[in-house]
Order: sequence, then structure tokens, then C-alpha cells
Amino acid sequence: MIELPIIDAVPSGDDAISPRTRFWRSVSQLERSSDFRKIAANEFVPGASESPGGASRRQFLQVMGASMALAGLTACRRPVETIVPFSRPPEHRIPGVPVNYATSMPFRGALRPLLVESTDGRPTKIEGNPDHPEVRGASTALEQASLLGLYDPDRSRYVLRGGEVSDWKAFKQAMAALPASSRVLVMAEPDSSMTMARLRQELSGAYANVRFVEYDHVTARRVTRGYAAAFGRSVRPVHHFSEARVILSLDADFLASTDPDGVWNTRQFAQSRRMEETGAMNRLYAVESAYTITGGMADNRLRLKSGDIGAFASALAGALGLHDTRVNGFSDHAWVRELARELREAGPGAVVVAGDHQPLEVHTLVAAMNRALGAVGSTVTLLDAGDTATDMHVEMGEALAELGTGNVDVLVTLGINPLYDHPELADPFAQAGTRIHVGPYVDESAAGAAWHVPETHFLEAWGDGRSRLGHPAVVQPLIAPLYEDAHSGIEVLGLLASGSEQFGYDLVRSTWRGSVSGDFEKTWRRIVHDGFLAEDAFSEVTPDVDGGAVRTAASRLAGAAAPELEVVVRHDGKIFDGRYANNAWLQELPDSVTKVVWDNVAAMSPATAERLGVTAKLSGGKYYTDTVSIDTGGASVELPVWIQPGIAEGSIQVTTGYGRSIASTREERKTNLFDLDDYTDVYGKGAIATGVGSNVSPLMQRGGRIAAASVTRSGSGYMVASTQDHGAIEEEGAEVARRGLFRMATVEEYRANPDFVKDSEPAPIKEDWSDYPSLWEDNHPTLSPEMQNTLYSAQQWGMVIDLNTCSGCNACVVACQSENNIQVVGKEEVARGREMHWIRLDRYFVSGDGASFEEPQMVLQPVPCMHCENAPCEQVCPVAATVHSPDGTNQMIYNRCIGTRYCANNCPYKVRRFNFYNWTKTLPTTTHMAQNPNVTVRSRGVMEKCSYCIQRIREVNKQANVEERSIQDGEVVTACQQACPAEAITFGNLADPESRVSQARRSNRRYEMLAELSVKPRTSYLGRIRNPNPTLISNDNA
Amino acid sequence: MPVSSADSEKTLASTADYHAEVPLVQGNLSFHDITELVTAHTEKKTPLAWWGAFSLANIGLLLLVGMIAYLFWNGTGVWGLNNPVGWGYAIVNFVFWVGIGHAGTLISAILFLFRQQWRTGINRAAEAMTIFAVMCALVFPTIHVGRVWAIYWTLPIPNQMEMWPQFKSPLLWDVFAVSVYFTVSLVFWYVGLIPDIATMRDRAKTKVRRMVTGVLSMGWTGANRHWRNYEKAYLLLAALATPLVLSVHSVVSFDFAVSIVPGWHTTIFPPYFVAGAIFSGFAMVVTLMVIARKVYGIQNIITIEHLEKMNIIILLTGSMVGFAYITEFFIAWYSGVQYEQYAFLNRAFGPYAWAYWTMMTCNLVFPQFFWIRKLRRSVPFMFAISIFVNIGMWFERFVITVTSLHRDYLPSSWDYYTPTFVDVLTFVGTFGLFFTLFLLFLRFIPMVAIAEVKGVMPQADPHFYDHEGDGHDHVHDVSLAADQDHTQS
Repeated sequence: MIELPIIDAVPSGDDAISPRTRFWRSVSQLERSSDFRKIAANEFVPGASESPGGASRRQFLQVMGASMALAGLTACRRPVETIVPFSRPPEHRIPGVPVNYATSMPFRGALRPLLVESTDGRPTKIEGNPDHPEVRGASTALEQASLLGLYDPDRSRYVLRGGEVSDWKAFKQAMAALPASSRVLVMAEPDSSMTMARLRQELSGAYANVRFVEYDHVTARRVTRGYAAAFGRSVRPVHHFSEARVILSLDADFLASTDPDGVWNTRQFAQSRRMEETGAMNRLYAVESAYTITGGMADNRLRLKSGDIGAFASALAGALGLHDTRVNGFSDHAWVRELARELREAGPGAVVVAGDHQPLEVHTLVAAMNRALGAVGSTVTLLDAGDTATDMHVEMGEALAELGTGNVDVLVTLGINPLYDHPELADPFAQAGTRIHVGPYVDESAAGAAWHVPETHFLEAWGDGRSRLGHPAVVQPLIAPLYEDAHSGIEVLGLLASGSEQFGYDLVRSTWRGSVSGDFEKTWRRIVHDGFLAEDAFSEVTPDVDGGAVRTAASRLAGAAAPELEVVVRHDGKIFDGRYANNAWLQELPDSVTKVVWDNVAAMSPATAERLGVTAKLSGGKYYTDTVSIDTGGASVELPVWIQPGIAEGSIQVTTGYGRSIASTREERKTNLFDLDDYTDVYGKGAIATGVGSNVSPLMQRGGRIAAASVTRSGSGYMVASTQDHGAIEEEGAEVARRGLFRMATVEEYRANPDFVKDSEPAPIKEDWSDYPSLWEDNHPTLSPEMQNTLYSAQQWGMVIDLNTCSGCNACVVACQSENNIQVVGKEEVARGREMHWIRLDRYFVSGDGASFEEPQMVLQPVPCMHCENAPCEQVCPVAATVHSPDGTNQMIYNRCIGTRYCANNCPYKVRRFNFYNWTKTLPTTTHMAQNPNVTVRSRGVMEKCSYCIQRIREVNKQANVEERSIQDGEVVTACQQACPAEAITFGNLADPESRVSQARRSNRRYEMLAELSVKPRTSYLGRIRNPNPTLISNDNA
Repeated sequence: MPVSSADSEKTLASTADYHAEVPLVQGNLSFHDITELVTAHTEKKTPLAWWGAFSLANIGLLLLVGMIAYLFWNGTGVWGLNNPVGWGYAIVNFVFWVGIGHAGTLISAILFLFRQQWRTGINRAAEAMTIFAVMCALVFPTIHVGRVWAIYWTLPIPNQMEMWPQFKSPLLWDVFAVSVYFTVSLVFWYVGLIPDIATMRDRAKTKVRRMVTGVLSMGWTGANRHWRNYEKAYLLLAALATPLVLSVHSVVSFDFAVSIVPGWHTTIFPPYFVAGAIFSGFAMVVTLMVIARKVYGIQNIITIEHLEKMNIIILLTGSMVGFAYITEFFIAWYSGVQYEQYAFLNRAFGPYAWAYWTMMTCNLVFPQFFWIRKLRRSVPFMFAISIFVNIGMWFERFVITVTSLHRDYLPSSWDYYTPTFVDVLTFVGTFGLFFTLFLLFLRFIPMVAIAEVKGVMPQADPHFYDHEGDGHDHVHDVSLAADQDHTQS
């Protein structure tokens, strides 16, 4: 093996040219002349200012070698492993041509299978693993955004000892010196990692007393325990909505990104909504307190306090004959009667699912109902996943008691943030002899720890685990850790267990060596290549229901009544429990429903707000809301109010993950008075998450997420930034209908009139566009011979978005952001209406069908650039900076644009985004690496917008041209399309009548938004079909 | 028609009362008096008051420079613009200033062609105002682009890439229309200045003054041939400027009318904008002249008759503009286009209703007071109204630009526009630029076209002195008559 010295930015004395140097750049170096030293020192002056711990360009090039290591599928980070500058590239590597590697993202105790694009050694884009049966290439906003998490400038960089900068070597020595008699307490998230399980065993052998607490702050094992109570054993329910005809969601947001099965559920759900293609059309009932995207997809939706869901479930279970009906308020509820009938009729085609914040009894009832309906084995499979089903609070209580008595010498928290979730744990934690905090940030839990070890990102370290269905998979790193001190959880555990440094690669391999039969290297290579092992999965079980447990649960819930005012703590749809709080893409991602960014809010219905005497005032296009103090007895949290139609009366909805305090590792910038760099530096002024929103953890008593609360108005004038609703919501909704922007019909209406979308056309539209001549018509640029004779003109790109399957999960928004280098602008700028997203989800509330404003329907509509053939933007640009391509896309020429913004004014869809400031000027160096090298990073003063991922189109164009073939249908996939779990986006060549997009355009549900303007959009929509139960359309809140 | 003879004046005055024309220059001034009255201000020691005003204007100018520097350093984000509202104060101010820049050339060219001789008293100052207003206007399209260093790409400069501007864009037409208008106005103004500069040259006492005016007067001697050529040139330039008066604001209106934004896409925009521009231009002339004639003691040259005539034009164009406002509403309803209907209802009753009703009050209601003769001859009242009209016309552009944009086709994108301090101070700063230039004009250039005024004085009538011994008294009579209230019989 060749070993090269790492070239420092500034050679420090003789060390730089050590006697061990085997390679030299010039004779003078060899001679170590002073002249050479001077030159060497000067040569790298630009890099000299960079923090030695940060990833400078130079260091970055050094770590490029990791990709060579991956190409060879050898080790990633071993001392013998060679890190060479990229100027000595590995063989067969073409600079600038990305290579994809399979890996997985650990999330909620399972792995989400991924395919990550690596450009010149750095990960640049994350997609779902297309071969994996659970995701089929799709992903959610979380996976997409985790790329930015890797390059987060606020990540911890050094091992800290008592808060002071130390190093890994010191930590290693300290761990090696731990006596075998130590009493060790390890707290870690639920993890499917086999290596972790093995190390737990080893750890137990290494020390006298080892306790391991599976810290499940997110659900406190409610679902597992609920199902376990019903079946008498631990099972993992996985739903198959594609098989379902009737779905009941009890406060469950199963289509959300943060659901363990988000992608799987969305895809399967979409499959059984494709009435046109497959004839399947399920009916989704949602009974929920908040408005979720699942509620938005629901055919019938009932607003009900979360605290009442238990009683509702009990009544329903009674109606289904699961227990002796104890009459409660819901027994005669129209919904219960109708649901019981529909579910029973659907039998194995029915499925009930409950939200993971609901108490475990609800899950017990749900399990029993599914079993009784025959859904188990059909729409619900129970997997033997070995999930822990014991009471976490008992374990935690024991551990804390032990801590309190001073019986713990070493306390290790692995990748969790318990002092954020439970600030009251600070006291018991202080009792531990040595507290070791392993985490990506110097955060709440790092404070006061004896040791802080920076945790690697999953793209930096080896790991393993299982997907939700149990397919074993490895987590393959794509880059060496950006910071030398960073180590993964298994490496720390390995060090602890053995007293000597263990490398993730070896740890994982040795685990797998034990479980793989046959030729290990061969299988290993296949696993690493595919990302998972398809032949192995959890086995399905069909245990019987313990009727007694069900009756107990039912009776416990039967009398449960929601308090007058309840607060429901949900995990945030974007930043989850706070672990993604420092991710700017997610912070700036508008919540699907509230459209709020950079904040958590106390969402409530207009009537509740009125009752509490709180308001959200719209002034100057910004919301200035009152703040409320939410008190659950003993704990109170202050939050801004957000008034949201569709939330159950008396229910306050809050989300976790905000109010973080993360120490920034970045240096402060000094700017002039007249310079706005401080303002435009979204990443500056401390860590991103710090100071955003409030921590609602205190509201969760013993992990319970639904609590009685007293709410008082505590202030006013808090500015909340949202990307929508700058007009009155009612007025907007009325205009949407008048303008035919979002078109939908019920199944009956569709059957009676398959051309319903035409009826919603606001003005008579003729398919023959020649009736509507345009300035461009006679002389359309694409008709010129130069355009016609290009290599591109054979394809005419177009897109179809199916509103019937789109759930509004936001995956496309972040995928687009990642692919197209879209900058974040911060709360203040979003509030001013300057967000940059190229594709957005327009959310409208639709009252109608007798529904009131309090109880509207919600629809979400993705809006990218329509790529109009008669693009109004092109006609008004004075410098021809936006023009048509031969393949019919509307292109922005950034370096021609002078920024008159006339195009944006003239765009009826308002999809153009202007760079009001130089957003990339202040972009941290590490974040530069998250940028896609194939897409121009825009400067200040230019317009930008969706390009149909032109870089991907051109890549395929080139490839096809070199190979002298035509482009196949489906070869070009846009970023939004690729990420979409619902497969709602179809993209392709309109010139090919057989292409999928052409077929989709022939659907009778197809319409173009604002087609009457004769702009001829290339992006079409397919109208939504809803399948409501006509007997339940009411705003009855029981 | 002008007063041509004392006889006709007398007859008209006795028979047709109000319709009788009074002499354009009053106070029984001789030719020399006029010369003295006008040029004296350029020759005497700079008054302290001028310095005071000039300093104030300079503070405004510095403010403008400072705001532009701040804008260039940081980017367009320092303004209040956002996603649906891509044009705000900058474009509003641009249209506002271009509109103001309409009166001068209209007075000089169109009224010249129509032989409206009363124009002579005010045309010089009005033209100067035009040029300075257009300069203020030109600031905005230049600085409003995101990448100001590339603004020259809007000009058709031959280049090796054969990359031309996009000739279908109304913004490009704007570039041509406004620059042509500015050039022609400037030349027209300068040509009109030549005889007066020659007068100044002849009176010059210092060497520098002699040299500067000597060069600028281009060898003018007042020879017959000079006068003949001058009159021809002036007529030709007037003929050239006349269509420009109409075209420049029509083209500016195309910025809006050619787009597809509801509230912008309106075919009546060109005439409506031209009427509005004349309206605001005359209001600005009134504002400036009411002060200037008082300060410089030229009430005999810019008489109340002049002001009244301007007020009548304000009344006329204000009513035209008001008619256009109502027509827009009618068309929005009559067209049946829901976007259009929403846009106009939103104007009147939406979040910017305050701006709309400010505009309606200032532009439609206030000028109607000029139906009353007493009010349109009251200097304080017309000053107040002219200020209101200026405010109203600024709001008209604000209403058109911002309220149309802030809520267009997709309700999801609706937002609100709030200007920042930079927006406001930049606008204030342009007044600094304007008044700096205007004060320099008042100080160094004859603010009244001396030669032209002399041509319309009663004394200029070749027959004025025909009745020996009578003339003097007669002039006296006329001037007395002018001082009297014309309503008396």
C-alpha cells in the first residue's frame, strides 16, 4: 500500500517534509531548500485561513480517495487505507461522471434503502433504492434532505472532554483505561443493526454490570406494545393499502414522510386509487384531530379530538362485535355505524390504522379489529421483527434509579438527545461517573458530558440493519468522515467493548461473516452492490387475538373522554423529533398543511381560537400571531398560535423538534454596516436550529402525547412565516373553484361524466389552438431550421401530474432543491415572499358538499414550471434570457439574465424565483459540497425556475447520441418524479404517442391549468377522483 | 388666438366678456423690462435662499446616491419586492416621473403647433422640468434590474456573439421610446434656448460667462437668416416631438398592456396613460410655477391666466383619467373574464383599497373643483390641488403596478407588497436630483423664453404703435383691464 502524507495547508516546519516523505514535487523539495519552503507556504495561502478541522477544498480532495476505496469495495477508513489526492485518480474513473452507490438511512429503527449519487468522491444526491421492493426508487423529504445533513456546517468536529477540545486519541486512551469492574449504562435508539446487537453482547461480557436501555422517545413503543397486548407477542404491523378497499385512519398520518412506512404506504395507497387504470378505488376514512395530508386524501373525514379517538375506537370495536358493547357516546354515532358496516363488508379488504401518538390500548383494539375483519394476512401483515414490546418507562425508571444511587460509572448516550426530550434528566445524568455523549452536534445532551464524541453521518460510516420488511442491508459510506474525530455508534461501542479501536468496516463484516453462508466475499459484494439482501426478510406470523386483553383495552377506552381542551404533541413532519432541526432544507420546507416554515406553532381551529381569544393578524403580508402559554399541569410551553380550519374543536396541535440549542462550530463573520451578509447568511448567527420555535417536550408526561391543557394568551405580535394564505383563505378557495385550478369529482360523478374536467373549464377551450394566435405563433423559435435540425428536437418533453395520487408529502420539493441547488433564504425572507422552491405544493381548502369553513376539504397541488409553448415569460424578456429549447422546454439562461423580473410578473403560474440577494456568497464551505456540480449555482439578480431537470435530459441526450440510439421512454427521470412515492408525476416525450406521458395525457381527467390563456402548458394535471360515502358527508362533530 | 391689436382686444372684451383674451404679458412691460426681469436672476449674486434650497436638494441627491450604492452593494433584496410583486416602487416611480416629463414637451411642441401662444410664458421651465423628470425616471429602470452591470445588454450593440436584445419585449421598446424622447426633448429645449443664451452673452460681464454663453449660443447674432433658420428648426423639432409626446407614454403603458396580468392587460392603456401623463405633468408645472413666479417676481409673465389655462387642462385630463378608471371597471364586468373581474374588485375592495381610493379622490374628485372659476384662479387652492394630483397620479401607478401583481392567477401565490426604507428614500432622493437640477436651471438659465415672450407681447404687434399718442394709454387700459375681475361687464 502506498502511503501519502496529508498535505497541510501550511507546512509546519520540518514536519511538512518529513524524512518519511517518499514523494517529492520538485528537486528543491527533495533538497528542502528554504526557497522551496517559502514557495510551498505561499502556494497554499488561500487555504491557510481555513479551519484545520473544517473540510477545506484540499482536505476534501484528500478524502476523495474514499471513493476509490468504495469502487474497489475495500475498506473505507482504515489506517492502512490510502488517501490520495484526486489528482491521482483511480483507474476507470471519468472526472465529473457520477457513480451511484447503494446504502441505507437508519430511521425509526429500520433502514430506508437508498441509492446515492457520488460526484468526484462526494455524495451529491440521494434517491430511493430502485431495486428495493419497499421503495422502488422513491424516497421522502427526509432522505433527500439528509444529504445536507452530511454537510451541515454546525456538525460537531472534535472530541470534547468536559467541553474542551480534545481528540479521539485521548478518548481512546480513556476508554482503554476503563476498569472491567465498571458499571455501564448505554442508552440508544431502537436500532435494527445486527452489529449493534452483537456489540451489546460483547459489551455485556466486557464489564461487570452493563445495562442497555432502548430509548424510544418517538413512540415509547405504543404501537408495538398495543399489538403485543392483542396478540400476546411482539409483532410489527405492515399495511398493504394496495389490497385495501376500505381504510380507516384513526388519527394516523400514514402517508407522511415521518411514518416508518411512509414511502411504502404512499405507493401502495396510490395503487388502489388508480380507478382509471386498474379499476381499484379504495375509500379512505380519516378520523383525526389535526389536518394531516392523510386527512387531505380522505374521502370522508371526521374531526375528532385525539382524546376521543380511544372512545371512538372502543365503540367501533364494539360495533364490530369484539367486545360486549359498553355504551358510550360514540355507540350511536353515524360514523361508527356506517364504518362498522363498511369495514365488515370489505372484510379482508378493510384495514384500520391508528396514529402512533395514540395510547397503546387504541392499537390493541386496532389490532383486534384488523384480525377480526380478516385483514391480517391480507391488508395487514404481522412481521416477526423482534421489536421490543416491554414498557420503556419501567426500564427507564430502573435505569434512572440506578443512576440516582450513583451506581453507574459510565453512561453512554448513542445518537440520542435525552436532555432535549427530558430536560429533567440532567440531574440523574450528573450522577453518572463518566457520561459519554455520542451525537452529531454539541447539543443539549452534550452539555455537561464528560466526553462528547462527534457521531458520523450515515454516509460516512459503515453500518448495517434491516429495512421495515426485514431485508438485511448494509449502510455503506460514500465519503470518509469530514471530521477526523467523528466515529459511528458501533465504533464507539466496539471501542468500549474491546478497549481498542475497532473499525466500522471490520465490525460490520465480522457480524455478517457469522450470518452469511457460502462464499462470504461474493455475498458481501452483492449486498454492498445491491444495498440489501432480497432473499431474507422477517417472517409473517398470524397469532390469535387475546380476547381478554382486547376487552380490557376496550373498557379502559370506553369511558375515556377528551378533556375540554387537549394538546396533541405530534412529531414534526419535517424535522421529526428535532434530529433534523439543523437541516436548512427541512426548516424551510413549508409544512404540507400549515405552510409554516422555520417555526412550530400551536395550531387550532378558528372556533377554538375565538374561544381562547387569540388571533393571527395578517399585516403587510406577514402573520403576526398571538402567543399562548400551554400548560399541562407542571409544565408549560409558549408557542405562537396558528389558526387552521379542519382541526377538531378544543384540540391544540403542536409538533416536536423545535427550540433546539446547538453550539455552532463556525467562526463569526465581521461585516460592514452597509453589508447585508449577516442577514443573508442563513447558516450564520449560530446553528440553524438554535432559536427556532419552542421545545414542546415538557408537555409530554411520561411520553404521553395527548394531554389536557389550559391555554392562556401570553403575548402577541409574533411573526410566523408561511408561504401561503396571504389572502383570506375563504376567498382563495372560492377563486380556485371559479378558476378551475384544481378539478375533482366523486366516483359517481366521474362515471356519469368522465369528461368532468372539461366542465370545470373556466372559459371555452378549443383543442385547436389555431383559434388563439399568439405573437410567437408564426415565428415560434422552435420552428426555425436551426432548432429543428438539432439533436434534441426529436423529443418534446412534457409532464403529467396526477392529482388523484399525489398526497402532498413534500418529497418532490426537497428532491428538486437538492438536485437543482436551490438556496434557502431564512424565515425573514420567506415571510417577505421570497422563498426559492422551484416546485411548490399549493394547498387550498375547499368548502362545499355542505361543509362549513371550519370543516373544509383540503387539496394539495404540486406546481412546477409549466413549460408553456407560448411562454409569456419569453415574450417579455428584453434580453432573450429565457428562451425555448428545441425539445420544447422553457429555459433560463442565467448568464444572460439581467434581472428585470418582467418574466416573473408575466408568469401566470408564478413559478419563477428571483435571487434577491447573493445567497451563495455566504454559503458555508461545507455546504458548497452539497451542491450538484451539473447545475449552475445562481448569482444574485438572476431569475430561476424549474428546468424539467434539463441537466438530466442533456445527460441522456449525450449518452444516446454517443451510443447512436434513440432515447427510451422512461430514460429521463426528473428529480421530483424520481422521489415521488405516489408515482404521481409522469415525464417523457410527448412526440412519442406511445410514451407513458403521452398515454397519461390522453386520460379524460387531463386538464391544463389556466389553459384559456393560450399559453399551452406542457405540464398537465389529471383531475382527482374522490370516493366519499354519501351518507357521512356532514360536519357532525358528535 | 393671441391678442393682435388693441382694437380687437377692446371689442372682444366688451362683447364676449370672459372669452376675451387678455395680454399674455401684463404690467405694461417693455422688451427691455422682460430681458431684465428674466436674465437678472442668472446674473446677480446667488441669493442665500437659493443656497438653502440647493443644499436641501443636495441632501436629497446624496440620499439617492447613497441608496443606490446600498442597492448595488447588496442586491435588489433591499427593496420590498417579493415573488408575485416583481415590480414595485422603482417602476411606479419610473412611470410617475415619465408622466411628469410629459407636460414640457406637450406645452412646447403640441401647443406650439396649435399656436397656443400662452405657452411662451411657461414653456422653458416646463421643458426643463420635462428633461429633469425624464432623468429622474431613467434612474429607475437602470437600477431596478438585478444585475445592473449588464444593463447595456438591452441596447442593440453589435457584438461578436450576434446576440441582440429581444425585440418583442415592451421593456426594449421602452428603452428606445424614453431615450428618443429624452434626446428630442433636450435638443428641442436647447434650440429654443439659443436666442436667449445669445442675449445673456451680450450682457455678460465676466470672461468665463462670455465664453460659456458664447459657445452655447452658437454664434447667434439675431440676423434675419438666423431667425428664419431658427423658426424652421423649431417648427420641425416641434413636429418631431409631437408624436413622441404621445408615443412615449403609450410605449410605457405597453409594459403593462402587453403582459397577461389581469389589470395590466388592458387595451385602453395607451390613451389613458397619455392623458394621465399630461394630467400629472401639468399639475407639476403648476406646482413649480406657482412658487417660481412668486419667488422670482415674474407674475406679469406667468400670469394668473396662464395658471388658469393649465388648470383647465388639469380638469380636462383628470376627467379623462377618471373616465378611464370607470371604463376599466365596466370592461372587467362586461368581458366576463373572472380574473379581470377579480383584479378590479380587489383593487377597490382588497388589501390595497386605501391606495385605490386615494387615487380616485385625488385624481377624479379634486380636479372637479376647477369647474368653479374662483377656485381655479386661486393660487393657494390650485397649489393644493396640484399637489393632490401629483399624489394621486403616483398612486395610480402604484395601484396599477402593485395591486395587479399581488393577486393574479393562482391564489396560492398571492402576497402583499410593503416597501422598505430603501424604496421610500430612493424615491425621496429622486426629488433631490430633480430639484438640484431645477435649481441649477433657475439659477443659470433664463427660466422664461425671452425671445418667444417678446414675440407675443402687445408691443410686438407691428401695428401697436400705429395710433400715435394712443398706444401708451391703450396699453395702460389693457393692463388695467387685466387686473380687474373679468366677470364684471
